[in-house]
Amino acid sequence: MTPAPAPVPVIVPTDIPAHLPHRYPFLLVDRILEREPGVRVVAEKLVTNGEPHLQGHFEGRPLVPGVLLLEMLAQAGGFLEAESLHGAAIFLAGVQDARFRTPAFPGDRLRLEVTPEGAFAGLMKLKGTVSCEGRELCTAHLLVKRL
Amino acid sequence: MSDLKLRVKEMIIERLKLEGMTPDQIEDQAPLFGEGLGLDSIDALELVLGIEQVFGVKIEDEAAGMKAFKSVQALTDFIAEHTKA
Repeated sequence: MTPAPAPVPVIVPTDIPAHLPHRYPFLLVDRILEREPGVRVVAEKLVTNGEPHLQGHFEGRPLVPGVLLLEMLAQAGGFLEAESLHGAAIFLAGVQDARFRTPAFPGDRLRLEVTPEGAFAGLMKLKGTVSCEGRELCTAHLLVKRL
Repeated sequence: MSDLKLRVKEMIIERLKLEGMTPDQIEDQAPLFGEGLGLDSIDALELVLGIEQVFGVKIEDEAAGMKAFKSVQALTDFIAEHTKA
């Protein structure tokens, strides 16, 4: 009889800074909702009015810059590895086929879903989707490299 | 040009979006990286994924990649060797 696989450790919000080197105002993952190492990560980011980039993007009409949606996906991708990054940085090496369908606004609870597509020579290709209440906001393929 | 070599060249053009390039413009013996096509590490990953998707052949590690990516001829030979029944 094969032994049962070891349970995947739960990552609570206060654990997140131990896994990523990013800090306020650039830590863009609030919670890890689901995690299957090497297979899939679902994370969450709550957009709030206090985020500094929203003060000027845009004045009187705050919305999350599209590039930050990509950054959220890259950060969520850091939780894909079976071994945590332990604070090591992930270098964004490329973005392919990014599509921004509708903006994200303060108050939106963003769902960040990331799956791996393959890896070679230290580079990994990820597929990511940002959605909110069932609406797809952004999809992209990201190339990331661990530094 | 062998049928397999043509398919390899078509896969390279499609996967790397080498718009305007035709298979006969890719030399069989020219290095894929550095000189020749001048591909980079991201292109290498794209080729690894393309080879697996189109030919069902996995390039397991960098050592296998170094061997397979020497040229189109080397890549064709690598795929032929790993798809033998």
